[in-house]
Amino acid sequence: MNLITLKNKSTQEVASALNVEGRELLLEKFASLGLPHKMTEEYHYFDVEKLLNVDYKTLDYLPKSIEESDKIEIVDGVVTKAPKGMRVHFEPAGILDMDHFDGLYYLGHLLSPRTIKIEIDGDSEVEILHRFTQSNTLINYRIVLANQANRHTLVYENFEADNIENSLVLYGYDMHIAKDSTLRLVRLQTMKDKQYSMVASHKINVAKNANAILKNFDFGGDQALQVLKVELAERAHVDAGHLLYLNDDSKRGTASQIIHRGEHSTSKQIAKNILDAQARGIFDALIRVEHSAKFTKAEQNAKSILLHKKAYMASKPQLEIYIDELEASHGSTTGQLDEKQLFYLQSRGISYIEARKILVIAFANTLIEEVKDTRHQDRIKAAFEAVFYASNKG
Amino acid sequence: MSTVMKIENIEAKIGEKKILKGLNLELEAGKVHAIMGPNGAGKSTLSKTIVGHYDVEVTGGDITYKGKSIIDMDPEERALEGIFLSFQHPVEIPGVNNAYFLRTALNAKRKHEGKEELNAAEFLRLMKGHLEMLGMKSDMISRSLNEGFSGGEKKRNEILQMLILEPEVIILDEIDSGLDIDALRQVSEGINKMKDGKRTFLVITHYSRILDYIEPDYIHVLKDGEVIKTAGPELVPYLEEHGYDGIKED
Repeated sequence: MNLITLKNKSTQEVASALNVEGRELLLEKFASLGLPHKMTEEYHYFDVEKLLNVDYKTLDYLPKSIEESDKIEIVDGVVTKAPKGMRVHFEPAGILDMDHFDGLYYLGHLLSPRTIKIEIDGDSEVEILHRFTQSNTLINYRIVLANQANRHTLVYENFEADNIENSLVLYGYDMHIAKDSTLRLVRLQTMKDKQYSMVASHKINVAKNANAILKNFDFGGDQALQVLKVELAERAHVDAGHLLYLNDDSKRGTASQIIHRGEHSTSKQIAKNILDAQARGIFDALIRVEHSAKFTKAEQNAKSILLHKKAYMASKPQLEIYIDELEASHGSTTGQLDEKQLFYLQSRGISYIEARKILVIAFANTLIEEVKDTRHQDRIKAAFEAVFYASNKG
Repeated sequence: MSTVMKIENIEAKIGEKKILKGLNLELEAGKVHAIMGPNGAGKSTLSKTIVGHYDVEVTGGDITYKGKSIIDMDPEERALEGIFLSFQHPVEIPGVNNAYFLRTALNAKRKHEGKEELNAAEFLRLMKGHLEMLGMKSDMISRSLNEGFSGGEKKRNEILQMLILEPEVIILDEIDSGLDIDALRQVSEGINKMKDGKRTFLVITHYSRILDYIEPDYIHVLKDGEVIKTAGPELVPYLEEHGYDGIKED
């Protein structure tokens, strides 16, 4: 399948090409937004057309029997393992966002008539491992994740790939965070160049008095974009942290919209970006405060360090505000490592490479240390160091 | 006299400004050398030149340490060989834990010397006595390196690093600036603890106050990028009375 063939096609043509029956609303939404391209705002800095214009193999996504395990494992879009008692289903998506800004959100759903639905009961901790084993393949799947009211949920999300090349992964969450609950998602993804690229298009509803704590750690190479839409109800809160550490000629980042719909809703979005070699980082983030969201508090900040003269950061924090009764701030800075700090460390016998690593980790640490579980914190640090030393051999 | 460091005809500039103009200085092993001089004489540039600071471009001359030229060495190599600079203005590094930094520096040195690295528990035991002597609170080592430290705390932290790393040539650049009497006493106590007749000190100062606490063996007067006089400690009261303008060149 070559997805670029869906460009500028009518709903009937898309339905025919994708072998979709019914789902007219989805088809219409996709046809109206179309495939993203260079002029699509959220994809402006991300070479999406090149990824779509490839003949990929496709998969069947037939459900398999699920082995008992301590984590949920999804291999090439199919659940293969899950903890005992965890409710994991393979079923039609149910209610979708019919006002998403991303065409690939709708394409993802059209390509995946059934979604992986994960229902998390009570206060719990879940690990989701995504594993990719197929080369030159379009791997597409959608996950619906829902927790229960008044509960605290912790989700750790990790990614692994076999020795594959040139696949494209389209996946994403429709996440429903129940009222008075907290869902904390810690996502760690280290990618190696030319294994697989990814566009992850998410929709997260945060209900009244609920908290969404989203911590993204994106390291390494290749191309990936997190497309995120978050909607906040009354007194809902989102705390989104994004840490990028990229090398080679990677292009990765986040394009997001956080929409305050309810009164007294709050958002905090902090991005830290470290770009080495010829990497390009993307932080294209909008916070929109609707008329209904009086007394909102919104904070958005992006800080970037360029470790190489050819590295590049596209940082675009934006506020779109329709009311007066709120507190909001945003900012963006880009710079290099501080020479004085580097020298200070070297003057104590610490090598140049180690000094750079210490300073880069120090820059990243405020986000890494927000992961309270030291086991996962250590895992993130180890992933970070592995990428660092791969880029700084010497 | 056993010379540990020899600075020969060194010329150095910062940007386009020539600051050291053929400076010569020999440091006798195990002695305390004080460098005194007016503002702009080149005192701090001399210390930066010895440790290989990126600001300084050496345009002539040589520095040998234990008979080996260090002029082309990276700053970390010089440090590992045993040269230590206590900075006039120690830099703050948010996010770098002080204890982690100190242990990394110490283990880099131990590795260089072929010794086993210390684990966190061994390192903390080593630190404890030094902290008490310097009047440092134990929480200072768990904070970010120099971040939010007062002037006195930063200087104490410099001395703590010196005590931990046990260097052989110790350059103290304006160590007394910003210190009150108590802090000066504690910092001096730390320095004097290192005076064992083997280590060499180069004390860079504007004022003679620090020399009441750290007794010098030699006074070198630096003016306009050159050492114009070397004498014993008896020069200090003369300088107090007559200032640098009253000095006759050797």
